[in-house]
Amino acid sequence: MLAGRAPPGAAACRRLLAAALAAGLRPLLCGLRPCWATARRAAGQWPSPGLRVPEAAEAERLVQQAQQLQRIRAPLRRFIACPQLARTVQRCLQGGAGPGPRPVLLECAPGPGILTRTLLNAGVRVVALESNSAFLPNLQSLENSLDGQLKVIYGDFFRLDPLVTGTVKPPAVCSDKLFETMGVAAVPWRADVPLKIFGILPQRKERNTLWRLLFALYECSSIYRYGRVELNIFISEKEYKVLTAKPGEVRAYQALTILWQVGCEIQLLHMEPWSSFVTNLKNGGRAVPKSTWLPNDHLCLVRLTPQQNLFTGGLKPTNSSTFIFMVKQCLARPKSRLTDRLNSWSLDNGGKLLRELEIPDSAETRSLYPEDYRRLFEALQNSNMFTETWFHDEVLDSIRNINL
Amino acid sequence: MSLLRLRAALLGPARLRGAGIPWSVLRTYSSASAKEKARRNAICERTELLEVLKARVKQLQASNVPEMMVNKVDLAPLGNDKYQDLLEKVVAPGPAEEQLTPRGRGESPARPRNWVEKSKEEMYIRQLKVERKLSIAASRLALEGQAKAKRKDKAKAKAKAKKRLKKPEAKVAAAQSHAGSHNVYAHSKPKVVAVKEAAKAQRPQGVLKNKDSSQHKVLQQTIQSNLECFLFLQQPEEAERFLLLYHRSPVKRRLLNANAYNIVMRIWARKGCLQRVNRLFSMMESVGLQPSLDSYAAVLECMGRNQSCTKAIQRCMQQLKNDGFHVDELFQKCLFEEDEKEKVLRAIRIVQPNYQLPPPPSPQTCKSYLLQDFYSKEKMVSYPKLDFSVQELQERFQQQLEMELNNTITIESVESTKPLTPQAIKARKLLTTLRSRWHDSILQALQKSKHSMSKLKTVSGYNILYPYLCLLPDEEYVGIMLQILNTLSPQGESLAVLARELGSKVYNRYITQRKLRSRQLEKVQEVYEDYIHLLAKDSQPDEYLPREYWEKLVAEAGFGPSLNLKDCSWPYMLIMRLGMHMLELLVHAVKVPRNALNPHLEHKLIPVLYHVYSFRSSWQIGLIKPHPIFSQIVSDAAETLLTFNSSAMPMLCPPVPWTSPHFGAFVLNDTKLMRFVDGAIQHQLLLDQCPPVNLHPVLDALNQLGNCAWKINQPVLDIIISIFNDKGNEKLDIPPPISEAPRPPAIPSNYSTMNKSQKHELLLYKKKTAEMHSLRMDALYKLSIANYVRDKVFWFPHNMDFRGRTYPCPPYFNHLGNDVTRAILLFAEGKPLGPKGLDWLKIHLINLTGLKKRNALQERLEYANEIMEEILDSADHPLTGRKWWMNTDEPWQALACCMEIAKASRSPDPAAYISHFPVHQDGSCNGLQHYAALGRDLIGAISVNLMPCDVPQDVYSAVAQQVEEFRKKDAEQGVKIAQVLQGFISRKVVKQTVMTVVYGVTRYGGRLQMEKRLKEIDEFPEEYLWEASHYLVKQVFNGIKEMFSATRDIQNWLTESAKLIAQSGQTVEWVTPLGLPIVQPYYRSKSTVLNCSMQHLSVKSSNSNQKPDTVKQKNAFPPNFIHSLDSTHMMLTALHCLRQGMTFVSVHDCYWTHALTVDIMNQICRQQFVALHSEKILQDLSNFMLEKYCRSGRETRAPWQKKLMEQLSNVPKTGKFNLKKVMDSTYFFS
Repeated sequence: MLAGRAPPGAAACRRLLAAALAAGLRPLLCGLRPCWATARRAAGQWPSPGLRVPEAAEAERLVQQAQQLQRIRAPLRRFIACPQLARTVQRCLQGGAGPGPRPVLLECAPGPGILTRTLLNAGVRVVALESNSAFLPNLQSLENSLDGQLKVIYGDFFRLDPLVTGTVKPPAVCSDKLFETMGVAAVPWRADVPLKIFGILPQRKERNTLWRLLFALYECSSIYRYGRVELNIFISEKEYKVLTAKPGEVRAYQALTILWQVGCEIQLLHMEPWSSFVTNLKNGGRAVPKSTWLPNDHLCLVRLTPQQNLFTGGLKPTNSSTFIFMVKQCLARPKSRLTDRLNSWSLDNGGKLLRELEIPDSAETRSLYPEDYRRLFEALQNSNMFTETWFHDEVLDSIRNINL
Repeated sequence: MSLLRLRAALLGPARLRGAGIPWSVLRTYSSASAKEKARRNAICERTELLEVLKARVKQLQASNVPEMMVNKVDLAPLGNDKYQDLLEKVVAPGPAEEQLTPRGRGESPARPRNWVEKSKEEMYIRQLKVERKLSIAASRLALEGQAKAKRKDKAKAKAKAKKRLKKPEAKVAAAQSHAGSHNVYAHSKPKVVAVKEAAKAQRPQGVLKNKDSSQHKVLQQTIQSNLECFLFLQQPEEAERFLLLYHRSPVKRRLLNANAYNIVMRIWARKGCLQRVNRLFSMMESVGLQPSLDSYAAVLECMGRNQSCTKAIQRCMQQLKNDGFHVDELFQKCLFEEDEKEKVLRAIRIVQPNYQLPPPPSPQTCKSYLLQDFYSKEKMVSYPKLDFSVQELQERFQQQLEMELNNTITIESVESTKPLTPQAIKARKLLTTLRSRWHDSILQALQKSKHSMSKLKTVSGYNILYPYLCLLPDEEYVGIMLQILNTLSPQGESLAVLARELGSKVYNRYITQRKLRSRQLEKVQEVYEDYIHLLAKDSQPDEYLPREYWEKLVAEAGFGPSLNLKDCSWPYMLIMRLGMHMLELLVHAVKVPRNALNPHLEHKLIPVLYHVYSFRSSWQIGLIKPHPIFSQIVSDAAETLLTFNSSAMPMLCPPVPWTSPHFGAFVLNDTKLMRFVDGAIQHQLLLDQCPPVNLHPVLDALNQLGNCAWKINQPVLDIIISIFNDKGNEKLDIPPPISEAPRPPAIPSNYSTMNKSQKHELLLYKKKTAEMHSLRMDALYKLSIANYVRDKVFWFPHNMDFRGRTYPCPPYFNHLGNDVTRAILLFAEGKPLGPKGLDWLKIHLINLTGLKKRNALQERLEYANEIMEEILDSADHPLTGRKWWMNTDEPWQALACCMEIAKASRSPDPAAYISHFPVHQDGSCNGLQHYAALGRDLIGAISVNLMPCDVPQDVYSAVAQQVEEFRKKDAEQGVKIAQVLQGFISRKVVKQTVMTVVYGVTRYGGRLQMEKRLKEIDEFPEEYLWEASHYLVKQVFNGIKEMFSATRDIQNWLTESAKLIAQSGQTVEWVTPLGLPIVQPYYRSKSTVLNCSMQHLSVKSSNSNQKPDTVKQKNAFPPNFIHSLDSTHMMLTALHCLRQGMTFVSVHDCYWTHALTVDIMNQICRQQFVALHSEKILQDLSNFMLEKYCRSGRETRAPWQKKLMEQLSNVPKTGKFNLKKVMDSTYFFS
């Protein structure tokens, strides 16, 4: 089911229409490929196939047409339609690459494929993971016209490894199947980045997705089972502000902030106004989410590279859920004092521990640096303070509740 | 677990029938939800409001200054004059005034010199104050003018604006012309007009700030309940100080209404301080509030109390008349406490020695066509008597009263028969010492917090909670908190639920105290003593209904306090705030030594309760959990005493009859006529507005249901308890004890090393034990209560939900419960079986087994006779015999029925055998029955047994058949999925969907149901699940459409109408054929955040000013409407059964009576169904809604209104079914 086939049930007429659409975008192959291509291919650098990149207006039309093919109204999605933006993103994604072999790039939800073509033209090996079957024929014909530089898979990155039991129904996908199809093998945590992922977080599930990725990261499960996968994602500016907040920032500094900053190196690659993106809304509206407290005028392209030393200290994938629980409990009321929290858990010698860590007694939970939380956790872990049974019951409970 | 509990809480009372009710839900009286969401970006409600107000004042001050000035100038001299009036009156020497004493001097008129000096001094001070107040008042009036202007700007009608602006000026002029008049009480009509105008001027402003008016209302209510507290505590100074806090600030003053002043006046009046009362009276007028009847009542009471001079009283009564009131109204409309009524009368009689109390209003009779017979005096028969003498009932009433006075009752649980282990003895001892320690520390914490609050009060500002912590003796608060600690489940409970429980417990005790204090209880006792004569066997037959008789007795009693308390309910927010405060005390005060169980650990006190957050997608919920040490001790101790609120027990005497929405059911416990979600006030408002006579049928029906006496089926109860105390039995629905739970999975010593599947396993185990625990506790409560009343006769007072469906008030043990609880209930009254009674018992037994569902009654009876041997064996050897009864649908009721049949058939004359056994008659798919009757659907009517048939029809099979036909057609045409589905369509597959269609299941939900059913079929190919369920649900809907052609139209019409109404910003309201007004309480939720030191609590507030939730209003309307009809049918049946002297109770669409009277009940049930549906129900609904939502006469009709009118006028057409046929249908209810 994972292989790039249209899902069953798509009506014949729909397929015809889609094929007609695709015809308008047939790649313009330019001449024969030189033979040195093979060498570069090995390094993950392919020659430019010289594909035509449609203009923004055309891309927008494609999105609208795909939308009309849908049986039910698809959730809100955003696409890159402007070739210029696509080039900017492509440069950002390739920036900072070393001389070594380049990892594959997984593009989530490419839609009309503007960025896909730009990336291919820049010689990047791309795996396109598309969840909307209406976009598939187009992408597949592109795949067929190339010599393995592009692979198209039917699936939804944001429904990766669903927690429901039973068979996984496409477009939901399992990470192991996905990685197998992509041909990416697991590497040790400290090794180089095995895979780059690019995507635009779906607006409605943005926070949810960030949490789920975080859990996967700390548990080394899902995509992070294969090593330190590098995420390059467009997120709303307000979430970016949250991810990069400093201690004490009243609204921005949250549990999410601490956990992501401990877990990853966070790099801002690019900021782009909301208006540059095309949505699949019928009226073509931009649907910019409102934000009361934090600025939210852009989508931010952020690179999240997991820390190489994440699991070198006392933190382990096995006990990381306790760490997450602890941080969440502390930040549930950011104005409360850390000592009060520790005391209310009736953990022994909270005060002494804080003194050893040189954390002042009056410190509010929101004024601690992410690194402090990590130290605090490791100290608690070492002093065997988490032995109280109730604490583990709570951790278990909280996993069940959050991990939905 | 907690999720499950939440869900159960959300489902509300309708699901209380189910077995697996988590105990905590049941523990709280109303099962409605208090979903607490802590929102991050929330602001304190009060500061928000204040800020808005401040901003508005600034805004107003900034603009349009000249006009303000004009008003000020005009008003100032007027006000001065007015106040001089007051002052003169106060100072003027006269016999009445001389008796007045300044504050703090006691009743000592013997100090004339001092008094004159004092009053001079006071005059001076007061003048200063007056001047300040006046400028405030003036600026306020000016502000009002401003606000008006602003509103008009908004409306962009500048031409009109000028016109309206003249109003305040005119008012000033009118008032001015009377500036010369020299008597407060004699100030004449035009001034009143002016005041009234001022009141009017205020009103549009209220509309203007509609947005925060819900806040406004809550604050207003808070002020009032605060003042009521002072009234209760008899602290006039405190009350006045509190009032002045608001009165002095022009912004806060808006929160005051006449009621607030009235309360303070009443406190002074009770002390006999006329001067104070007068001062408040003028204060009230000075801010433009019109005195209400209650204000005059307070003044007169005070005058009556200290025997004021004739002149003063005359002046007061003159002013009362000038304000457009009549003296008689004082006694007709005001509510009195203690001796207030007598004092008022005394004052009046000083002036009019011959004044007589107005005669009580002549009782009105309900005019509903449906109840013409019922209420007609000619056919009046005497009320059925109970098998008790007056004396006996009197004793029972005393017992009940005693129980309610104690607030709680502690009973032995059924587990107490188990032997005690040494471990339990040790744990109990430990628990006792701990408890006494906790008691002390809680008491200490409470007193400390009260002390700091009282200190704060004197320094600055005011602690709003302080008076609420003074209402009861400290010990009572401690008791309430300890009780919470004892009932906390090991899984913990959400903060909001606990806070509400604590808060409302305090409230309930306060109400009890108020009833005692106001001597309301004495009067209830007095009236009840006489009331019993209506029910007792040894007294004269009276041709009254309980309500009528009670009303008559109250009217005859004349004097004394009113039975209704003045509205004194606390706002929901306040209850929560109080609860949170107590919870915080509890969490901080209660500690346990860490080494209580493990002496090797070092000694250290750790908190028993801890506060953690649980995260649900985007919000977090605060939970209070007990420490495992505490849970361990409690479970080791295995205590066998259970403490319940007295309202959780069945009543030991016949309930007090409902006579108004505020009075009825328990003797002391506050019971609401209509259950609703916390904070919803719409229903109460609607009931209050409704003319009392319209509620009579509903009240009478509830009284009838509540007057049914019950007793316990002891042999069955003993068997159940023996299994319960042994190992339980899941198959027989007796929850096993926790000790029977599966072994916990092996846990590695270090939690963090567990892998995912181990964690998962552990989670499952915990979930399972939590579920078992809550099931077990639920059963324990039910059985223990049943065991407690095993030798008694008891009653279930009833109330209803907002659609009129009736429920017994005691939450755990009642006849709405599961099979187990129903099996142990018997009618206390016995009736001979009569010629057909035994047959009915046998048929009832077969109905309970679930066998022979499709067979005629005669066949069921024959079958029962065939298996008589099995029946007798089950009855004689329930646990040791062949156990036939265990394999039936409702085993316990079947067993009870077997025993009854055995006894009856062995008696010498079965027809004379006295049976207490309730026989049930069930409506077959009752919702669809009402739809089919509404639409007169012929095919539909046949399939739900409205048409006489030889054998019962089964609507599910019929729909399944219909769907099968559709499928065949499609399959022939080559539709793939139709071919796949061959042989899979059965009754079972479609049943749930058909059943829920009536209750508004959507395609989406229907498909999920189908998918579930298909999944259960092993052979069904999994890959087709989605498509097949999708196809099936479509076909089921089509099938129902085909069979119930009018039903779907009606449903769509209801839905569409509700949608348009909700979209126009209004809530859907209607009136049942019995006259009960109904409003759907679904609003776009708006939550307010309570700032508490432990946690910010976000509380959903619901208010009529909020916008309706369109989706809920629309989806819920059809099922709610149908429920309102089925409840009407039930009530009609109940009332008419009463006229036949029969016993009748109901579980919604399942009617119970004695075997002797089944035939009569069946007949009445059909008659009333025909009568109900012979009314033009839909047409009436349409007319009502047209009148309500599209009242003609408005010049401009918006497009939405036209659309709505068109929709509402377009009542669906009906089919050809002849309703009268129902009369002959055997299986309509069977």
